[in-house]
Amino acid sequence: MLFPTATFALFFLVVLPLSWLTMPWPHRWRPFIILASYVFYSWWDWRFVLLLAGCTLWNQLLAVRIWRSTVQAQKRALLVLALAGDLGLLGYFKYYDFFVSSGDNLASYVGMDLPLSLKSIVLPVGISFFTFMAISYVVDAYRGDFQPTTLEKFAVYLSFFPHLVAGPIVRPAELIPQIETPRDPRRVDTSRAFYLIATGLFKKVVIANYLASSIVDQVFATPGQHSSLEILIAIYAYAVQIYADFSGYTDIAIGIALLLGFVFPQNFDSPYAAVSLQDFWRRWHMTLSRWLRDYLYIPLGGNRKGRIATYRNLMLTMLLGGLWHGAAWTFVIWGGIHGVGLCVERALGWRPASRRAQWFGRILTFQIVCFAWIFFRADSLARAGQILERLFTAWGQSSPLVTTSVLLAIAVGIGGQYVRPSVVTAVVRGFGRMPTLAQASCIGVGVALIETLGPVGVPPFIYFRF
Amino acid sequence: MGLTAAWRGIVALSVGLAIAGVLDAEGLRKQAEIQPQGVQRRVAIGVTRPLVDVSRTLHLTTPRHELQVAIGREGEDRIDTEVHLTVPPPTRRLPPPPPRQARPVFTPERPLRVWTAGDSLAAVPGQALQRLGGAIDVVGVESRLSTGLARPVLYNWFSRIQTAPGELRPRVVVFSFGADDAHDYMAGVPAGKSVGPLGSASWSAEYRRRVDGVTRELNAKGIHVVWLGLPIPAGRGFAHSFPVVNRVLRAVVRAHPMTSTYVDTWSLLANSRGRYTAYLRLHGKLTLVRLPDGVHYTAAAGDLIARQLLRQLAVLYDVRS
Repeated sequence: MLFPTATFALFFLVVLPLSWLTMPWPHRWRPFIILASYVFYSWWDWRFVLLLAGCTLWNQLLAVRIWRSTVQAQKRALLVLALAGDLGLLGYFKYYDFFVSSGDNLASYVGMDLPLSLKSIVLPVGISFFTFMAISYVVDAYRGDFQPTTLEKFAVYLSFFPHLVAGPIVRPAELIPQIETPRDPRRVDTSRAFYLIATGLFKKVVIANYLASSIVDQVFATPGQHSSLEILIAIYAYAVQIYADFSGYTDIAIGIALLLGFVFPQNFDSPYAAVSLQDFWRRWHMTLSRWLRDYLYIPLGGNRKGRIATYRNLMLTMLLGGLWHGAAWTFVIWGGIHGVGLCVERALGWRPASRRAQWFGRILTFQIVCFAWIFFRADSLARAGQILERLFTAWGQSSPLVTTSVLLAIAVGIGGQYVRPSVVTAVVRGFGRMPTLAQASCIGVGVALIETLGPVGVPPFIYFRF
Repeated sequence: MGLTAAWRGIVALSVGLAIAGVLDAEGLRKQAEIQPQGVQRRVAIGVTRPLVDVSRTLHLTTPRHELQVAIGREGEDRIDTEVHLTVPPPTRRLPPPPPRQARPVFTPERPLRVWTAGDSLAAVPGQALQRLGGAIDVVGVESRLSTGLARPVLYNWFSRIQTAPGELRPRVVVFSFGADDAHDYMAGVPAGKSVGPLGSASWSAEYRRRVDGVTRELNAKGIHVVWLGLPIPAGRGFAHSFPVVNRVLRAVVRAHPMTSTYVDTWSLLANSRGRYTAYLRLHGKLTLVRLPDGVHYTAAAGDLIARQLLRQLAVLYDVRS
């Protein structure tokens, strides 16, 4: 069930009032919201629900044992067991065929034959997101940072439908306390929620889909048929497409959660206005960045064990972060480019202070990020190589795909990141002061406009396959 | 006592979506029509029909129409289920094919013009043909999600087939249809006829009439038609439904052996035991050929299909790249 569809609109129009009606009685609300979330998830494939339920039981059982255990060695063993289960689940469904095929190709290169067979496993939607949230829960219990809650509350935390399939990756300490106390229907920031949903829909349905169908898909599929200018604009267009697609999705998710009375953490903060790669990772997929920092980079030693160890930790974090996005070497290289960039910035001590240096940093960072996107979007390393080669060897040819509307969509996507927060706040406040019927009219006209400008049918979100 | 913020939000959302529904009534009506057969579709059509009436009466369909005209997407909401086929079926047995003549030669200077069209499965093989370049000139890759020949309501390919040859002047048309046709329902069935469930004799006869009609329509313009069969899928449901479509495609090609070609992507992408596999060994390397959904192709599969297609066309054309 995709957010920008009539099916989801109907689902939400039923769930939202029922959620508020049952909210004063948590023993009714929690089973209701678990059921609603499982219905939402089963829309893709009912078998995925069993996987989600299994993951919930496994992590709850071990988190409680870890918390209760007083023997450090036992706590550690239980943590290893929990992580082995979570990473095993992720590894089996997401990476098994990738590692077997990569191992087989390496073995055949040296004249060996691997006795492993491929399994052609279907990837369950959102598995990367809910396993990471489950890992947060058990690790926080191990560290003593968060006391495990009841099975029912943990099931709500893990399956809550606004974040279930593509994040944001919410921490136990951020969401579970909100689940424990009934939300106050007088304190719901509906204006902000509607603003987020409307901008999210516009970004996904209009900007991302338009750029994908007008230039990105064609150029990345057949780079040899396109001019250097088309290649260059397609790379920038993809940068805007992936931002509009993913931030659009999380804006809708955060808005939907807000209407239900829950506050999710921010996931994007104008990433293409970043003045360095370090700054970029503070603004892009922020909940994944801090997850990688807190559960991978810092446990590896972070920057506390000397310069070389810091570089190693940065590289490992970014390479694994790349692999998290997909089981392909192109994603590993994407992570590697960011890792090298972060190491170089650290080595140079790059922290632009002056206005001019900041603008230089912004432009340079955007170019590096776009260069890395080539590997992220290309379906193979060979195709990425063709795109790079074509970028320099086909200037002066005709470029029919570079149209005014494509350039306008790119400009809107990038320019939107420079809109001051005060402008957004003013818009949200202005909307909040309107009478309810005027708000409804704005929502109606806005949705109708987005629906008309968007394509027939909604292609899935890019991050659904991660 | 006034409403709380949450309930005001619910009212604003409900009324807002109702307003959007009236303004977009014709788009919703079309969305309802293109849903798979079943309760959901019947309910959606039942709800959207009066919505369209209200919207038209109040002239609230006008803003959407005007905007569609402005962005060049006029007529997108039109529901056209007519199967436009102008070449009548032969009344008697076709004469035997003429003796084979010398194969026409195509070079980069005088390329073979190819148009690829169909549902979402058409895009990747079409792009693979584009990558071949040289003596193959792909004049268009037209891939429209969820469309087909069984339900022209989402997009009427029968109408498109009337106009595309004049616009694009292809010598060969490569079609990939059927993944979204393999259901128990067909629109545009001739008056007085009914079609049974997928795989029934009436379903296959009507689907064959359409595939055969499209083939004859293009053959009459001197265009060779290539039908890409449906690939072996990962899911059990598709594994039963796709062969029904493939049998029809194969039967039509058998009836037009000199002017049409069937490419068996099912066998091409199966493993050595004839089963589904996401990876095939290509040039000694295990290569991913299918996307995680178990149906769509990766670019490597597209290259494989394009090469197979060229091998089969080599019987008719001398393509020198």
